[in-house]
Amino acid sequence: MESGKQNEYAAFEEKVRRTVYLDNLSPNVTESIVRTALDQYGTVKSVEFIPNYLEPRNMPQCALVEMEKGKQAKVVISTLSEFPFMMSGMPRPVRARAAVAEMFGDRPRKPGRQIRICWLDTADPDFEVASKLKQLVKRHATETAVMLKHQLEKEEKLAKQQGETLKANYKKYEMIDSLMADGAARRLARCYNLRVSDDSGPSTFH
Amino acid sequence: MVEVDGIENLEFKWGKKRGTGGTNTKVQFYESFTYDGLDYTLYDNVYLHKEGEPLPYLGKLIKIWETASRLKKVKVLWFFQPSEISNYLFVELAHPNEVFLASGEGVGLANINPLEAIAGKCNVVCISKDDRNPQPSDEDIQMADYVFYRTFDVGQRIILDKIDGKIAGIDVKFIFNQSGSLKPCSIHNFSVDEPASENAIETNGRVVMSKLNSSENQIPEDDRQVEQKPVVAENGFNHKAEENSDVKASSVKPNLSLQQEVVPGVVSESGELAKTNDRSGDRTGLSLKIKANADSKLKNPSGEEIGCVNQVKSEEKLKSVKDTVELDERPHKKAKLDNSVKVYSDKETTKCATEPCGTAKIPSKKLKIDDKFKKSTNCKSPAVPSNDGIKTGDKAMEVTRRPDSDRSKWFGELPWEESLQDAHEFGKLVLFQNLDPAYSSAEVEDIVWNAFSETCRAKMVQQTAYSSPHFGINLSQDKLLLYSSQGKLQRMLLKNWMRDACCYQIGASIVKLCCDLLELMLVRVCCIKPLVASIPNPCFSRKQSMFAGHLIVDKLKSQREMKEAVSTSHSSQPNTVEYDMAMEWFLMTERSNQFWKKLYEQQGKELKKLRVNFKSK
Repeated sequence: MESGKQNEYAAFEEKVRRTVYLDNLSPNVTESIVRTALDQYGTVKSVEFIPNYLEPRNMPQCALVEMEKGKQAKVVISTLSEFPFMMSGMPRPVRARAAVAEMFGDRPRKPGRQIRICWLDTADPDFEVASKLKQLVKRHATETAVMLKHQLEKEEKLAKQQGETLKANYKKYEMIDSLMADGAARRLARCYNLRVSDDSGPSTFH
Repeated sequence: MVEVDGIENLEFKWGKKRGTGGTNTKVQFYESFTYDGLDYTLYDNVYLHKEGEPLPYLGKLIKIWETASRLKKVKVLWFFQPSEISNYLFVELAHPNEVFLASGEGVGLANINPLEAIAGKCNVVCISKDDRNPQPSDEDIQMADYVFYRTFDVGQRIILDKIDGKIAGIDVKFIFNQSGSLKPCSIHNFSVDEPASENAIETNGRVVMSKLNSSENQIPEDDRQVEQKPVVAENGFNHKAEENSDVKASSVKPNLSLQQEVVPGVVSESGELAKTNDRSGDRTGLSLKIKANADSKLKNPSGEEIGCVNQVKSEEKLKSVKDTVELDERPHKKAKLDNSVKVYSDKETTKCATEPCGTAKIPSKKLKIDDKFKKSTNCKSPAVPSNDGIKTGDKAMEVTRRPDSDRSKWFGELPWEESLQDAHEFGKLVLFQNLDPAYSSAEVEDIVWNAFSETCRAKMVQQTAYSSPHFGINLSQDKLLLYSSQGKLQRMLLKNWMRDACCYQIGASIVKLCCDLLELMLVRVCCIKPLVASIPNPCFSRKQSMFAGHLIVDKLKSQREMKEAVSTSHSSQPNTVEYDMAMEWFLMTERSNQFWKKLYEQQGKELKKLRVNFKSK
């Protein structure tokens, strides 16, 4: 029985090594998209999204992708860290990391681990310490929550900023395009004696 | 003590005949019979022992016959325990001993069983306000083992309040109280003087669902009440009691052989209820210790085997121990000694009263669980009457596997999402924080089981990039049913608390109590982390519409039409605008990574500082 469990756990650990944790996924990303995306790096065995129960609603999605070999997982991670990889939308890149056991939802027990619990009485000297710890933990949790919120806000800001830049650029392009299209540019060029053509060389003035 | 040899040879006698089978005239139907000293009539409510199951089921005999090959069969219409349907529905009980009659069509309505599976009679009173139902008096209800007024439709899987004309083909008049039956049976005249005497006998077959006998102080009330109630069941128990006292006087024998015969005279002397006096006297004399357990080793003259010790007494002192007696040799009959409360019935394993000396060597596999359980409750020395409820202090309990049996598996378990939502609606969701992140969900379930004796479904919230490495979070749903709430509370809280807790509290407040309780008494989990509990507000998955970072150029979108609107996954090239933007994102994530790292480092330091102050480990 014990060895069975050990094996199970060993297999699980191995799986962890082969799995990539993907972050910053758009909500539109589905399993098939992830699969095809990472197929270029190796065989994808399974894709599992991590459900978000407790974090703010706007958190980007995350997923655990199990690759066939640990090496493939490593390749994925390194490539995605170096070059921005886009999935279902630009320009926010997808982030990849090595997966950790705690990320898995249905992990097996670690064999040989004994948990001991006990109730503490109010009179117990440790009670004080423990309650302080509890408060600390709660505080940490709120700190984390605040951080997260903060981060989300920053992300939105950046996105908005980029959006605006993009729009502005696009407008410029459009304008140029339209000018070229409707001949206004040519007319103006003739007027100023500039040559306007695709392979424009140095302008001649005369 | 008379010893009966080997397998059951319980006396049996057919009673009144009814008719023969239509197709096969060799089949003879009966209206009554006597088995093992008890008279059974058609439409009686009985306990049935299912092979392999530790606890008997409750059913109504709706057909009794003998086949051509001389096999005796009964058709039984089932009663459901609330726990069996709680997996599927939220059940609000009108009465702590409420059960549900099966109705409708489908699996689980009725079954044919060998007659030998009958383990005793049960007093179930129908409290339906229907006109056709002879109304029971308050006393009847008090003395009943169970009550019912609603049915559970096995086909539609819902609870019905109204009872139709026929259930499982039998007329409802047989479902309702029979006019003659609303009075305590003779067997039950029971008077026990000592309230403190642990219930023992009387409660033997009787499943007191309302509370866990955890504290002694509570027991007496309980007992007293119980004493006046008819003892349903296996009259054998009565005798058991008697004998027990004698036996106990001698020291316990260590060998639990399979044949445990703890119960001495399971013989047919009906109507004799043991005077618990002796027993009690005995009991108190005997060192609580579950040496009583050794009782299991007592020889049972009737050949009944009791798998687990019949611990009558110590029960009460023990925490949440459910004694069930298991028959090995006699697979069909099981004497159930159940003094303690039937705790949230998911825990259907036989548990021996915790026994520090662990002498019982009950070979069934269930024993292993028992042993472990024993160990875990070991430190709670039962002989500490003043401390009802949990033993606090330095003994750390080992967290053992939660007994796995879940009888109510008929309908399968709902997928996690759904049950999470349900639980949240009903306020049964508890969030535990500050668990070691390495724990698995199953371990958390065990922790909850050990600490609170409640079952739950737990799920460790998966860590994401932003989760703190210092603690893990877990959501667990308690399948608390109303009736068990009282038990849980009493179990968990100190004397003064909750004694008056109304037993019909809604699940939500229980959970709240539980959280408050944790504020009072901390549960420490290994690695010295006090467990923090709260009621969470989970957000359920819902497609988010906005996602920061994906930009769409509207013009383009409309030009290309939706099918091309989604860009394919690719790595962008350095010469594009998107590359630049992507770089900006990279930069941002790097920055935030730095923040998180710093934050967690600092938190870790703070935690460590405090933890150093822990005196004991």
